Amino acid sequence: MASQTAQDLGVQTPAPEGGTPSMTWNGHTLPAIGPSGAPLDWAWLRGTRSEWGVRAKPSSKGLTMADIAVGTYGAVPDHPPRRTMAPRGADIDADVPDMGYLVNDKSHVWAENVYELYEEAVARQWSATRDIPWGEVAPLPEELERAVCQICTLLSEVEMIATDLPAKWLWRINHDLLEAKMFLATQVMDEARHTEVFRKRALVNGGGLLHSRKGTEELLRTILQARTFAQASALMHLLGEGFVLDLFRQGELIAPTEVEKRIFRLTMQDEARHVAYGTLHLRYAIEHDPDLAEEIHEALDHGEQMLVAFGTQTDTTEALAVLLAGGVDKVEEVGFPMLAQLQAKVLTSYLARCERAGLNRVQRTKLPVEELGIDRDVRVA
Amino acid sequence: MTVTTRHLPVDSTAFFEALAERMNADPERYRPLGFCDLDLGVVIHRPSSEDFRALVRFADYGCLGVEAFPEGAEDRASCWLEGDLGTWEEMVADIRANGRATARRTLASLVLLGDRIGLRGDDSMGVDRFFRYAATVQQFIDGAADSVSVPA
Repeated sequence: MASQTAQDLGVQTPAPEGGTPSMTWNGHTLPAIGPSGAPLDWAWLRGTRSEWGVRAKPSSKGLTMADIAVGTYGAVPDHPPRRTMAPRGADIDADVPDMGYLVNDKSHVWAENVYELYEEAVARQWSATRDIPWGEVAPLPEELERAVCQICTLLSEVEMIATDLPAKWLWRINHDLLEAKMFLATQVMDEARHTEVFRKRALVNGGGLLHSRKGTEELLRTILQARTFAQASALMHLLGEGFVLDLFRQGELIAPTEVEKRIFRLTMQDEARHVAYGTLHLRYAIEHDPDLAEEIHEALDHGEQMLVAFGTQTDTTEALAVLLAGGVDKVEEVGFPMLAQLQAKVLTSYLARCERAGLNRVQRTKLPVEELGIDRDVRVA
Repeated sequence: MTVTTRHLPVDSTAFFEALAERMNADPERYRPLGFCDLDLGVVIHRPSSEDFRALVRFADYGCLGVEAFPEGAEDRASCWLEGDLGTWEEMVADIRANGRATARRTLASLVLLGDRIGLRGDDSMGVDRFFRYAATVQQFIDGAADSVSVPA
């Protein structure tokens, strides 16, 4: 909707003798030549082809992105008409340069909950420096400190993929889809903070960073090298972060002190947000382009294999079992059985999220569901 | 004159309303945690009478209220917590003793194994919503440390 509120548009008054040419707007006289001698056209004041008169109303949370999705400004095009950084809804020059974006369909990046998740991300930011009670760190038995450090080594490694991957795609995503880009930008920051907090924990209590394995790097490379954003999102948000979310949930049982508990609780909230985006993004993508489902399935087929290879690295399972048992003495009696119980829940959660995303993986997955006591014929929820 | 107090039973609407009142009286405590939009069901199995059921509705930095959560109305909740009365009472006793839930009596810990208090939901998105707002919900329940007693 174009606005035409200005009056006397562009009417240039000849310069009086010894003076400068001028224009009038709403009864005001405006110079037509600037102090440097360059002509002034006052085009923005004269009226634009964008919507004028918008007055977004703040909601109870403040003025949210959903609140300003009003009129034409809230219309997110399925297929953006151009590839520029020009703000969606502005009066855009016809000859703006092409930025070469590669993700130009709304369905390839959008999720119905993207406004909510962006606001939530901004509202729930925390600081790894300030909000962890580092002063309460206390000496632990060596096997527990080593186990914590091994888990922190792994997490400081894998969390950064969830910074790198959205960052890799962000500049390729059409700017008309900016709300999705803004959410992904929060994820970039969240995951940098996760890397920070786990690295800090490894280094704060007399331990340090322990083993980093080839299998981990191979899994990360699989995710990073996904060919499309849909595949990347499936591998990262649904598979990788889904599993990490459930690992953070286990923090309630594996954390030896309040310091680690606090770390896991805060990272868990962030991770749940990322998984929520991925789940509904993939659902949106598949609903709008059913052919994508097979492409995503193929990525998950491969990703799950990588995950199994990753999972067979014993560093993580041993360390988790020791933490669950509270030490090495009861690792066989308590640690490993409890870990198996939790792993079944992790797998069930993953399959439920896949189903919510519109991907029935129960029959297709090669993950060891039977070994973990999951019946393929029972609906997961 | 000595004033004695008694604790409100956890399986009562008044208990959750008192928690809501405390939350709404102190939004600045909740603001750093971020807003919370969650309709959380509570189902407490009593040993010898019908279940206690309530729907606690969170919005922004407060609690909108506590409502009836009849059986069959599960779709009104994002997710719900379900467990036996003894476990709920243990959790609240731990909060009263320590000022907040500790060790394996935090909600997140209890629902992880799910054998005593389970986190249920018809939709994985609703269930995951609990984890997005877990710190807020725990702080709400921790309000039991000093908010839910009435004159005897």
